[in-house]
Amino acid sequence: MAAVLEVKDMGIRFGGLVALKDVTIEVPEWEIVGLIGPNGAGKTTLFNCIMGAYQPNTGTVTYREKDISLLPTHRRVALGIGRTFQNIGLIRGLTVLENCLVAQHPRIPYGAGSALLGTPRSYSDERRARAYAMEVLDFLGLTALATSHLDGLPYGTLKLIEIATVLATDPDLLLLDEPSSGMGPDEAHALGERLIELRKTLNLTVLMIEHHVPLVVGVCDYVYVLNFGQLLTQGRPQEVQNHPEVIAAYLGGEAKTTEETTDVPA
Amino acid sequence: MASATEVLNRPVDDAPARPWTPSVQGWAARLLVLIGIFAAVLLITATRPNFWQERIALAAIWAIIGLSLNIVLGYVGQVSLGHHAFVGIAAFVSAWYVTEQAGCTIERCSFGAFATGTVFAALSGAAAAGLLGLIALRIRGLYLALITLAYGFVAERSIFEIPSLTRGGAGMPATRPDGWASGGEFAYLCFIFLAAVIYVDWRFLRSKVGRAVLSIKHSEPVAASYGINVTYYKVLAFTMSGLFAGIAGSLFAFHSQNVVSNDFSFANATLWVLMVVVGGLGNRVGVVIASAFFALFPYLLEMWTWFAHQIEDLGRAMGNVTIVVGALLALLTIIQYPGGIGEQVSPITRWIGGKRFSLHPDGHGHEKHDEPKASGGGGLMGKLGLSKETDGQKETSRLEALGRAVERPVGDRLPPAPPPPPKSSAEVETPDVWGSLTRTKSGDGN
Repeated sequence: MAAVLEVKDMGIRFGGLVALKDVTIEVPEWEIVGLIGPNGAGKTTLFNCIMGAYQPNTGTVTYREKDISLLPTHRRVALGIGRTFQNIGLIRGLTVLENCLVAQHPRIPYGAGSALLGTPRSYSDERRARAYAMEVLDFLGLTALATSHLDGLPYGTLKLIEIATVLATDPDLLLLDEPSSGMGPDEAHALGERLIELRKTLNLTVLMIEHHVPLVVGVCDYVYVLNFGQLLTQGRPQEVQNHPEVIAAYLGGEAKTTEETTDVPA
Repeated sequence: MASATEVLNRPVDDAPARPWTPSVQGWAARLLVLIGIFAAVLLITATRPNFWQERIALAAIWAIIGLSLNIVLGYVGQVSLGHHAFVGIAAFVSAWYVTEQAGCTIERCSFGAFATGTVFAALSGAAAAGLLGLIALRIRGLYLALITLAYGFVAERSIFEIPSLTRGGAGMPATRPDGWASGGEFAYLCFIFLAAVIYVDWRFLRSKVGRAVLSIKHSEPVAASYGINVTYYKVLAFTMSGLFAGIAGSLFAFHSQNVVSNDFSFANATLWVLMVVVGGLGNRVGVVIASAFFALFPYLLEMWTWFAHQIEDLGRAMGNVTIVVGALLALLTIIQYPGGIGEQVSPITRWIGGKRFSLHPDGHGHEKHDEPKASGGGGLMGKLGLSKETDGQKETSRLEALGRAVERPVGDRLPPAPPPPPKSSAEVETPDVWGSLTRTKSGDGN
């Protein structure tokens, strides 16, 4: 089975700082792959390179056997890669529903010309987009908030709305940047269940950056560990969790006891 | 209005009850008020003497300029201090076309020549502004404002001084088209153009184009991650602004009937920025009202003869007073009323737009106050299964199950369910755009 996403020898430097070096990861079909590592390890930078927000110095990104290294971000999104942001990537000032409408941008077929003239087609397309947005919101149980403005909503809810918007882009592959940040343990647990459910119902493949250990262990099929811009190790979550180098990277020393780190609560 | 206990006891599912819509009589009343406003404007225009009709035409032209600038300031979120360049270039192109190319004389000019000249003017304005849009791809904020300033000055000192285009200081004549020559007729012509511009601006904002531009203003990375072509829409927004400015410029040429470069100065550009701010950034109705006000203000002030004499004694023009007043109004707006005129009249505009009458600034006063946050939020969390109370039972068992699930043989990286076939490349190119979530996606997963 070919991988959905392949990143090969990815390297990027900002001035003298080597942010990523020879990172190679593979996300197979239908898996939830975790990407963990201490702060500053280059996880979000890797996401930015995958999405084309940064131009990497070396390496290629392949999506479903198609080299997308040179495509601009919006073309990659149109191919089916959806991405969320570490600090809520939503448009403030628009309502929840409107955010889901913006996110459908490439799916809405009418062009700028018919938009400006207000052709019947643009109206019917808008109606369909609206219905689809409501469907997505309903799917995530957010219908009640459709007309709410974003300001004042709790952080965890905003994270969920962000997932709704990214689903509205109709992705095959989700890149989630710390989806559980700002959530309590219970909420994070529910998020994990929801991710598994999403994968089942929408056939999604997921690559996610996550710090919440129980979530990673519970949900991910495979985990990559980044440290100082390089891959430290990879494997199934429980192997990685007990890997001495990983523990050392997180705790900054040579931790011997694995017991303490495994049941870090949340 | 529901009482507090009613609201609290209401099940969460009822919360997104269908949005309130006015009754047939309600719509009729709204339509009547709207028609009344239009009728009043037209009636006032029809009954004024010719020189006031001329001024009202100018107000309509300024309203188009205001809407043009509103795209850059309000929608894109950048400052343009060089809008007089776009308006001026378009005015000269239009005048040059009808006089030099279409053979209009001081006495006669065909409507066809006027229309063609206006199309050329609009295109030249769009091209000039589109060029600025390309610059704006790389530069933002203060530096872009400086570049627009330079843009304006360069136009003033170079393009406006090409003798064959502007005839130097004497000015390029632009005769009004037959049938639209008097003040009143020309005012109606300007109203028609203003209506068209308002319509396009409305569609611009309400369609995917406007949403794309607004999201780019908020955050380019987020907009790109929504699949929006940032480059395209930024240049498109500037081009639209230039198109409106071009139309306004052409009308301005025919309004003054003899275009001189002094009409397009930096002072005008700053006043236009002020009027958009006073009108309310991004607020169509407010900008139109403020633009008309600023266009008419010096003339209204002249009616106060004592004051007009004082200004005359000082050897100053009324335009100076307008700028001072404009600056003061802008200060007042920024400090006290950030939404501008648009927000002050928003209860009326929202009501006409089919909402309940409400003085609440957000326009959803009723819904907001009726439903306490706690009930909506808590209920939502429950519904999502995000709170402990609702699925405490599932909690332990499911996490354990998840834990066990990962203890599979090392080689087995594939999930138990057969993975679905990947989308073929053809499918990716032309996706089933409106496939519903359930239809396209579920079913084959498990």
